[in-house]
Amino acid sequence: MDRQEKIRNFCIVAHIDHGKSTLADRLMEYTNTVAKRDMSEQMLDSMDIERERGITIKLTPACMKYNYDGVEYTLNLIDTPGHVDFSYEVSRSLAACEGAILVVDATQGVQAQTLANVYLALDANLEIIPVINKIDLPSADIIGTKKEIEDIIGIPCDEACEISAKTGLNIESVLQSVIKNVPPPKVDETAPLKALIFDSYYDLYKGAVSLVRIFDGSVKAGDEILFMQTNKSFVVTEVGIFTPQAVAVDCLSAGDVGYIAASVKNVSDTKVGDTITLKNRPVAKALDGYKEATSVVFCGIFPLDGDKYQELNDALEKLKLNDASLHFTKETSLALGHGFRCGFLGLLHMEIITERLEREFNLEIITTAPSVEYKVYDNKGKVYDVTNPSEMPPMASISRMEEPIVKMEIITPKDYLGGIMDLCADRRGVYHDMQYIDNNRTKLIYTMPLNEIVYDFFDKIKSISKGYASMDYELAGYQESQLVKLDILLNGEICDALSIIVHKDKAYQRGRTLCERLKTVIPRHLFEIPIQAVIGGKVIARETISAMRKDVLAKCYGGDVTRKRKLLEKQKEGKKRMRRLGSVDLPSEAFVSILKLDD
Amino acid sequence: MAIDESKPMGLYIHIPFCSKKCDYCDFVSYSMDHKAQQLYLDALFTEIDMLKSKFYDRVFDSIFIGGGTPSIVYEGFIASLARKIYSSFHFLDKTEFTIEVNPASFTKEKFFEYVQAGVNRISVGVQCLDEKLLREHGRIQSMDNINETFKILKNSEFPNVNSDVMIGLPGQSKSSIVNTINYLIKHNVKHISTYTLQIEKHTLLYNKLKKGKIKPVKDEEMVDVYNKINKVLKKAGYFRYELSNYAKPGFECKHNLKYWDDESSYLGLGVAAHSYIDGYRYFNTKRLDTYIDAMNDGKSAVYSKEYVSDAERRTERIMLSLRKVEGLDLEKFKKDFNEDLLRSRADSIKKMTELGMIEISENNFLKIKDDYFPVSNSIIVELL
Repeated sequence: MDRQEKIRNFCIVAHIDHGKSTLADRLMEYTNTVAKRDMSEQMLDSMDIERERGITIKLTPACMKYNYDGVEYTLNLIDTPGHVDFSYEVSRSLAACEGAILVVDATQGVQAQTLANVYLALDANLEIIPVINKIDLPSADIIGTKKEIEDIIGIPCDEACEISAKTGLNIESVLQSVIKNVPPPKVDETAPLKALIFDSYYDLYKGAVSLVRIFDGSVKAGDEILFMQTNKSFVVTEVGIFTPQAVAVDCLSAGDVGYIAASVKNVSDTKVGDTITLKNRPVAKALDGYKEATSVVFCGIFPLDGDKYQELNDALEKLKLNDASLHFTKETSLALGHGFRCGFLGLLHMEIITERLEREFNLEIITTAPSVEYKVYDNKGKVYDVTNPSEMPPMASISRMEEPIVKMEIITPKDYLGGIMDLCADRRGVYHDMQYIDNNRTKLIYTMPLNEIVYDFFDKIKSISKGYASMDYELAGYQESQLVKLDILLNGEICDALSIIVHKDKAYQRGRTLCERLKTVIPRHLFEIPIQAVIGGKVIARETISAMRKDVLAKCYGGDVTRKRKLLEKQKEGKKRMRRLGSVDLPSEAFVSILKLDD
Repeated sequence: MAIDESKPMGLYIHIPFCSKKCDYCDFVSYSMDHKAQQLYLDALFTEIDMLKSKFYDRVFDSIFIGGGTPSIVYEGFIASLARKIYSSFHFLDKTEFTIEVNPASFTKEKFFEYVQAGVNRISVGVQCLDEKLLREHGRIQSMDNINETFKILKNSEFPNVNSDVMIGLPGQSKSSIVNTINYLIKHNVKHISTYTLQIEKHTLLYNKLKKGKIKPVKDEEMVDVYNKINKVLKKAGYFRYELSNYAKPGFECKHNLKYWDDESSYLGLGVAAHSYIDGYRYFNTKRLDTYIDAMNDGKSAVYSKEYVSDAERRTERIMLSLRKVEGLDLEKFKKDFNEDLLRSRADSIKKMTELGMIEISENNFLKIKDDYFPVSNSIIVELL
């Protein structure tokens, strides 16, 4: 048997919570890749946040050995992130495989992200191996789930593995099915090196390390390699595989999955989707499917304490080492001082970054309202890409604007159909189609503006459906839209950090809610503070915070002095933590209030 | 910062006994029998004996016996205590000697005892004339008690009476407060302390509030009442010399003024008493048994002590000076703290002056204007 005949490269696709990571853990345990005593729950999810949220963001491959019919097979499991923000990364991971295990929770059935990911896998011509998980639970509906997979996805399920990743039931059947059904890699070992980067990470000693699937040829330490997109070349210092810890090997050959270290300084040089070849014997053509990672959601990030600007800068630099898709540039706000305008792959990505800044770097930060990238055409036909409301050209000079839209798929039990359709309509969704999945569940297809979902759309869907509906979306270009910039004036001064770009029809409602919200979070001052929502000089909503009438009139005798002093010192500290705009002190809640707008 | 040790000091003595604790009170008090009072007096004597040598070169010009309820202790207690302090510390001729009394336990006999002991200022805990309201808040005095108290004082033409008035008791009407004030004016009270009720934790009132049994008075209403009192008292010839204190000219409380001056020292004796001496603040134990044990063992009653740093002194200077109507002496501030507030807080001062909240007098005192005393905290925070 040829070497390649004994290799299987596969991934697992699943909806969040359907048990992907648990299954991966079990596979490693059954192949003795990781001793049971070393297992911590969900081995592959290496970041704390991922583990807490139960979702995988960063991919960690694992190389497993498994004996079947007297042959030792190498099974390379490439984990994939299960979130729409990372669909490009998913597609590159899939491109590195020949097969995919499709995990479906027998208690929940097919969900939106199951579909999204399985379609990606089908697009990549992968062999799909259906696996029905959680069959140990009393509410498991194995037959119904199989039928759904057959009906909706069109994959026969006669031989689908029925397992419980949690208890370890029938795990070996999955391994055997992978060997039997996933084709071995088709490769040419003698051809020039052709390796696909499906991920990269930064290592303190090795530099930016590329995670690769070798399609043709081979690579070893000392080879001079060329990254075809960036056209940069480096000398390989080490190649290796993941067990799942990185272990150096002599050589990676066609069909293998592993890593290449070449003292690359920046992860921006090891772009996901790029092709690595040999400098002196390059392939004629790079692998298809490369895309630049583009930011979809933007927001400002400012340190709560203005003195921590440099620390925030350093923290973002450090995160960027491992995350080439994070973009940031300096931004100065009148209200918030110095900070950064950051671009993210999506909302989850944004949330992960802000959470890591707070958790791993102990930074207290203020984030401004998430924005998308608008195209603004001025009267002279010039186009501006606007991601920051405060950079929007004056309304008078704008001839038209376009906003990004997405194709949205929502799967929901029919009980919640009405509520979800109302929500979509409210969010300017355009209805396209409704498909019945089974007696109970329906798939809705809408197009809707991205800026309508960047706030809290996902949370709303979950709360309307009591958690049963799922959603997935993909970018679907730009469309012209009646957009306006809504400014907030506090005591007559524009608070730039509170400006948002919003659809004309929604501006009034948003403005009013925002004014009301701000009224509740801004403390009373010694003077009255008008809060106004303004569009192009026209006031559309107004609230007033009346002046403070009384603070403390209490007695103050000998024993009270220290207590009173401490109280005042505390008040002063609290004030210092606020942002002063003109003469108004804004607590950080004021900036949060813009994030949750429709109640 | 140096302390002027030649400035006369104040002496405070705490009497921690009450027949019953009022619902709003967070002062340290115990209800105790004659025997316990005697033990306490002995302990006070011991504390005085331990401390007197430290103050042999200092002079005092005010005594304040507060509580608790000083008028509740047995006859002879105060006289005996007074003799002890006279023989232990040096007092100036015109020493102000105040005692707090509760109308429910104040008698003619006690009054004569006080006068003979040298008491020249009596502070009557009137709080409010609304008997029903007082009873609701657990205070024991009756209207008869109050009338009787003022009758005793009037008959002997006692010249210097203070009364405490409480504002903001849940359920209290504006007219009942005005009635109270008018009653005090009529009885020729020379000094009136007004307190807005602070609902402190660990009080019965706080628990009632938490359980929703009572509703706190709205800020707007309290300010309204506060301003009304200010008007009534001004018309009757009283002037406000501190945030919550009014007096006829010449009747400001010498002792209390020391609390609002970070350069004046005062010695506190007894359980839960505080002292501020040459830049240090001392806190006596709050537990009666601990206090008495410490005294029996010849140990200090102080359970904690803090040195007020220059930065804290600065805060206290601003906070305490601005409580007083005369305000903050900017020249002295500059000299003492090496900081010109007019520069260091220029923006805030400019803004607040424009808004008419503060003013700077010709002799360079920064003061809070009358209408803005209710927000003095916020004004002070601006200047810190």
